[in-house]
Amino acid sequence: MNESKIELIFDKRNKVNSNNYIPKLDIEQKDLADIINNKFLRKELSLPDIPEVEIIRHYTNLSHKNYGVDTGIYPLGSCTMKYNPKINELIARLENFSKIHPLQEENQGCIELINELSMQLQEITGMDAFTLQPAAGAHGELTGLLIMKKYFEDKGIKKDKIIVPESAHGTNPASAKMAGFSIIVLETDKDGEVPLEHLKFAMKGGDIAGIMLTNPNTLGLFERNIKEITEIVHENGGLCYYDGANLNPLLGTCRPGDMGFDIIHVNLHKTFATPHGGGGPGAGPVGVKKELEPYLPRFDNSDNKSKSIGRIRSFFGNYGILIRAHAYINALGKEGLKKAGQIAVLNANYLRVKLEKLYNLPFQRICQHEFVLSEKNLPNDLTTEDIAKRILDHGIYPPTVYFPLILKGAMMIEPTETESLSSLDKFVSIMMTIFEEAKTNPEIIKTAPHNTPVGRLNAVLAARSPCLHD
Amino acid sequence: MEYKFLDNVKYTSTHEWIRVDGDVATLGITDYAQHQLSDVVYVEFPEIATAFDKGADACVIESAKAAADLILPISGEIIEINETLADQPELINSSPFDDGWILKVKILDPSELDELLNIEEYKDLVIKELEK
Amino acid sequence: MDFTPHDNETINSMLEIIGVNSLEELFLDIPEDLIVKDLNLPNGLSEADLYQKLKEISNKNTNYSASFLGAGCYYHYIPAIIDSIISRSEFYTAYTPYQPEASQGMLQAIYEYQTAINRLTGMISNASMYDGSTALSEAALVASIITRKNKILMLKGIHPEYVEVLQTYCWGNDLTLEEVTLDELYKKIDENTAAVLIQSPNFFGDIEDIEEIIKNIREKSSKCLIVQSMTDPTCLGLLKSPGECGIDIFVAEGQSFGINPSFGGPGLGIFAVKEKYFRRIPGRLVGKTMEINGNREGFILTLQAREQHIRREKAISNICTNQALSSFSALLYIVAMGKSGLTEVANQNFQKAHYVKNQIALIEGYEIINKGPIYNEFLIRCPNIDLFLSECKHKGLLPPLKMSKYFPEMKDIALVCVTETNSLKSIENFIEAAKAAKIKGGNKDE
Repeated sequence: MNESKIELIFDKRNKVNSNNYIPKLDIEQKDLADIINNKFLRKELSLPDIPEVEIIRHYTNLSHKNYGVDTGIYPLGSCTMKYNPKINELIARLENFSKIHPLQEENQGCIELINELSMQLQEITGMDAFTLQPAAGAHGELTGLLIMKKYFEDKGIKKDKIIVPESAHGTNPASAKMAGFSIIVLETDKDGEVPLEHLKFAMKGGDIAGIMLTNPNTLGLFERNIKEITEIVHENGGLCYYDGANLNPLLGTCRPGDMGFDIIHVNLHKTFATPHGGGGPGAGPVGVKKELEPYLPRFDNSDNKSKSIGRIRSFFGNYGILIRAHAYINALGKEGLKKAGQIAVLNANYLRVKLEKLYNLPFQRICQHEFVLSEKNLPNDLTTEDIAKRILDHGIYPPTVYFPLILKGAMMIEPTETESLSSLDKFVSIMMTIFEEAKTNPEIIKTAPHNTPVGRLNAVLAARSPCLHD
Repeated sequence: MEYKFLDNVKYTSTHEWIRVDGDVATLGITDYAQHQLSDVVYVEFPEIATAFDKGADACVIESAKAAADLILPISGEIIEINETLADQPELINSSPFDDGWILKVKILDPSELDELLNIEEYKDLVIKELEK
Repeated sequence: MDFTPHDNETINSMLEIIGVNSLEELFLDIPEDLIVKDLNLPNGLSEADLYQKLKEISNKNTNYSASFLGAGCYYHYIPAIIDSIISRSEFYTAYTPYQPEASQGMLQAIYEYQTAINRLTGMISNASMYDGSTALSEAALVASIITRKNKILMLKGIHPEYVEVLQTYCWGNDLTLEEVTLDELYKKIDENTAAVLIQSPNFFGDIEDIEEIIKNIREKSSKCLIVQSMTDPTCLGLLKSPGECGIDIFVAEGQSFGINPSFGGPGLGIFAVKEKYFRRIPGRLVGKTMEINGNREGFILTLQAREQHIRREKAISNICTNQALSSFSALLYIVAMGKSGLTEVANQNFQKAHYVKNQIALIEGYEIINKGPIYNEFLIRCPNIDLFLSECKHKGLLPPLKMSKYFPEMKDIALVCVTETNSLKSIENFIEAAKAAKIKGGNKDE
């Protein structure tokens, strides 16, 4: 075997007859042919029977090649990689939650949690009603946009465009398209914010359903004119959608509902500390103002159903995730939520003032929970990607790179509130070291990473001749 | 950075080039465009005999990190696609004006050719973009 | 509880370094009248109090000792090894593997998941969608993108909640959606049909003759895509793979592969396509590749040009966060159970469901509705359905689904589900409940 080839679980040579997990069959085994015609059955199943100990070792070793929040700082801008409380895992595993069927009648506990979480989210965000069905942020966006679409359809008004700032997350235009809208991109001004005059002009089009915004924006800056922005959109008959990805700094301090937003989604796996899981599951509950409540997805057969956009997922949503978010909100309480938001901003600004001495910070003002550097100052033609790969060599995860698209070589840094001072100082020290290296030894950065299980991988080969399974 | 420009083709503001021969136009993307995309991995062709209006997205050119639409600068009917690109998409990078041609269309409205850019106009456009 | 790791002294020194006097000063960009004084929420709880509170809430649910309810969410035995592995925090507190060099663990797990699904289905799988219902809806959208048509036909028998989700997605994208019987299907297919959606085993428990249906569809249309949906894929331990049958897109709810019911979520949207469509798959894909400057193999997110963070409004789907940990659970289930376990689980589900079906058929007044082959669910007409369901509850059994919940005209019909988790004892209790309901209810004549 070639040493450089990776051993997949399916390549394991050790076999058992069976790991024998399920109950022993306690009725008579009938001939399968008496139960189902042979033509429906498969002739073979090419999967191995691997001993349990081999499976455990394989994945335990794989875990060593992975990095989580529990390993170290994870300063991914726009992702809010905060600590995931362990008590939430215990609670989600209570059998009286985990073994409950969504269609059983005796579900008062589950429904109580849903109602309490909805009310908590309403209070935190300043909205009037919530649906907890959406399974992710993008799913929430789609839901919110469908609500917008239904609202205008109901009123008999043709509105088929959505304004999206050029700094927006990619899911915004993608979701708008999935809801049948076309996009108008709005350029941000020199301060990185939405320009009021351009917005007024764009709204004059007449067929604009509304705007999708996140605030603070993807540069980590609070849109100072947010009240004027929502007013302009409303005056022109549009609705305002809030992308909750950046809600964290505002917890307990400011609410999207008060800013004038009509529809919002929140990312439970960001702001409300449910685990990211390597890419989900998350949840993206959607909140609306009273006027839009009739359009929310319904899962009961009540009479209001006719205005509802209909169901957007089976059953009640990602319930296991709702449990964790509910526990988190209860654990922190009103004072803990506010403190979380404040410390998130404190930590981000601390890193900002330390790093702006060397790196290029295009927007020089107090940031909220995140800030964005650009690759302008980097010595020796190094790029943001090179820096990110070198950060990996120091054993920590790099920030978000190349987003937002409006800055060249953007590096978006969001420490969150759960990073200690020593963790922050370690990150600063690593960034300083790399900057020095960039001047004196750029080659080592250009060819980084060197200390990870693999070096830079060939993305072009992967895309040209995709190998998607063994 | 030196980009290649040809003076015997016309250009568009969206970085396509077009070579006219009678009522057939051959199209591709410019050297500047392929450089922005970097290594092309796949081309999603339209079906032969499809007619497109001027300004339509006829084709998608994918790289590992980006995807770009080839926008038809003129109304046309697809008569030929460069099938070599299925196995060798990298020709768009190595030979964007020649072996990396992408589509051949039958020109439906010759007057639209007047709106295309010449080499000097296109060079100016590229210079302006680089300054941003 | 408080997870912020600074004491007041630290906070003050950090404020000084930043150059402000208080935490409030960090929010001066926010208009004063937008600043919230105090949220109207209770104070936080200690860990012990939190646990107590949530335990009390959970105790208001009834956790039955055995279940005869399926209908889209299934009780299967979950090997302990699954939670043990996915609970490793290097996996569950990780983010999406955008920096592959530090994420080879998760990337390999996803690649192995894609391989596992390929082995079961014979098709190319993505890294997951949200659940079965949204996977089916996105399949309809993808079919419409591929064929450039917008008519969707769905064969009767799709889970009613999936139909509702389909209706929402199709309305959002101007696709027409029509439910048809098999005969109507063959008449209605034309060159404008983007896709035919078939659930098998279907909501009523019937296993459809997929190969026969595909053959008949292809006589009418060579272009439309044929999509199979499934709510309990454990049947694939024995049933012919969708790839072998000729299915173009396969979607399923993967909750049966090692994921707890948990009141219906999170689940797992399995999404797989015939090889020729792999460039149109929505969602994340992991590919195997080589180092640029070395000879080690590695895994990487690939074909990202389809996805929202690159294509934005031209993306095939808006999906970003998917169900990575759920797909990992499914992988572990498939791997731990192995060929023998998966075959045995499917076998037991077939055996037990048929056993119960035959026993019920012997009770006077009860009628089995299904005529053809079934997997682990079937319909029964009951003489006194409400009495039957409450008898089940008295015996600690989660009763079967009352079909009138979704189909008001199916007044006396119950959808029974039997899996390997139903012991003979629970089955005997179930039969007793059925008999008792018949006796207690007397003769029920309309």
